[in-house]
Amino acid sequence: MNDETFLNERVQVVVTFGTGNYPCHPVKFKRANGREIIVTELGLLHPSGNGQRMLHIFDVTDGGADYRLEFDAERLTWHLTMEADHYE
Amino acid sequence: MNDYNHERPLIMHIDLNSCFATVEQQARPMLRGRAVAIVNRRTEDTSIVTASYEAKARGVKVGMKLREARRLVPDIIGLESDPSKYRFVYHKLLAIMNDYSAHVTMKSIDEGVIDFHNTTAAIAGRDLMDIGREIKQRLKDEIGVWMRCNIGISTNRFLAKTAAGLHKPDGLDEINHTNLRSTLATLKLTDLTGIAGRNEARLNTVGIYTPLEFLDADPVTLHKIVFKSIVGQQWYQRLRGYEVDDRESDIKRVGRQYVLERFDLSFDQILQRLHHLSESVGMRLRSQHKAARGIYVYARTLERGYWHASSMSMSPFYTNQTIFTLARQLFLGAPDGIREIGIHCYELQDAKRDQLSIFEDSIVRDQHITSAIDQLNARYGERTIHSADTLSTGIYVNTKIPFGSTRYL
Repeated sequence: MNDETFLNERVQVVVTFGTGNYPCHPVKFKRANGREIIVTELGLLHPSGNGQRMLHIFDVTDGGADYRLEFDAERLTWHLTMEADHYE
Repeated sequence: MNDYNHERPLIMHIDLNSCFATVEQQARPMLRGRAVAIVNRRTEDTSIVTASYEAKARGVKVGMKLREARRLVPDIIGLESDPSKYRFVYHKLLAIMNDYSAHVTMKSIDEGVIDFHNTTAAIAGRDLMDIGREIKQRLKDEIGVWMRCNIGISTNRFLAKTAAGLHKPDGLDEINHTNLRSTLATLKLTDLTGIAGRNEARLNTVGIYTPLEFLDADPVTLHKIVFKSIVGQQWYQRLRGYEVDDRESDIKRVGRQYVLERFDLSFDQILQRLHHLSESVGMRLRSQHKAARGIYVYARTLERGYWHASSMSMSPFYTNQTIFTLARQLFLGAPDGIREIGIHCYELQDAKRDQLSIFEDSIVRDQHITSAIDQLNARYGERTIHSADTLSTGIYVNTKIPFGSTRYL
């Protein structure tokens, strides 16, 4: 299978709120180890419900790896849940 | 003049080919331009559900084992399917299609039909090729730049679907009475939806080897000799662009199957997985407000054998416990060496209590318990409450996207 790493890492995220189809757009996020990731593209933003608890899933890239950020709309928390950067 | 349908083509078929792989490439930009295969389980022995165009171009086919695909394409990237993403794209596509007509039918999670008959004058007055280009652009604007779709336009659903398959992966084609023959001349019999295996052999027996020969066959031959039923007459109409497929099918059965994650499981462990499937089928049944009277279980064995058993109940049922009790009873006769199990409920009817039975009290109690569990699961998430028996099966028998049905999306 693919070299994906599944995580449940609390991260700090800077987002902008604007207009359009994807009004909420992550700009950068800071990982637990202090590393800062600059988001260059938001691939897909989609909701993922678990019961009435709503998660907003942001699939983003920094141009070198793909990341999955999850925003819990009930708890107002951000988690990094997937990193994939070993495609070669 | 020929007897082809000369009406203005007003049926549009939209197909997100390689849908799951394309959506993954949209979500994860680093995958774009790469060979990607979507599978339902993270093992090398699982079958590919969808492959990206880049993988298909290198010989990878849907249904192939990931291990086989890796022999052809060593750098292929296998990803486990992510139903919530595909559900989101399905609803986006449906919303776009609904903007153009009130008569939209989704045929599966990745394809649908817009019927432009009886739409507004403003829409009907537009060139459908323009609308097709607009829908393609809206997919990119509203979902993402990597999204592509095939669009076919014609006078009936069959030819519209055929048109959609002419220039993958980003086609836009129309089949009408002027180009019907020239288009069919470029196709093989098996390129036609519904013609494969047995139907191809039937046509071959009367000397029909190409779509054009099929088109030129007389209706009596098709009706009396080839298909030996009204189906032959329908094919005669269908190939000429007349609509014979505009019908909704009622839900006939509800079921699930599961290929075991290991083939050395004990009978009790297999029963646990059957229990999990029973709960899943019960939930689907109730989501459609249906009850069943029939239950069917099957098993495929490692030696490619097929075993099945079924039973009919006097009164309709829809609770998880009843479904599993009946299924388990049947499953006691299952053979050894099982690789796949499945369960279906059939003889469906609307879930209402219209006849009292002597077991009224226990039935009412079961129904109340089931209703309470469904409410809790709706509030706190699927399988928050489930039988203790299936505590360890959740990581294996998780729900995947059903192809061919959009009822549970």
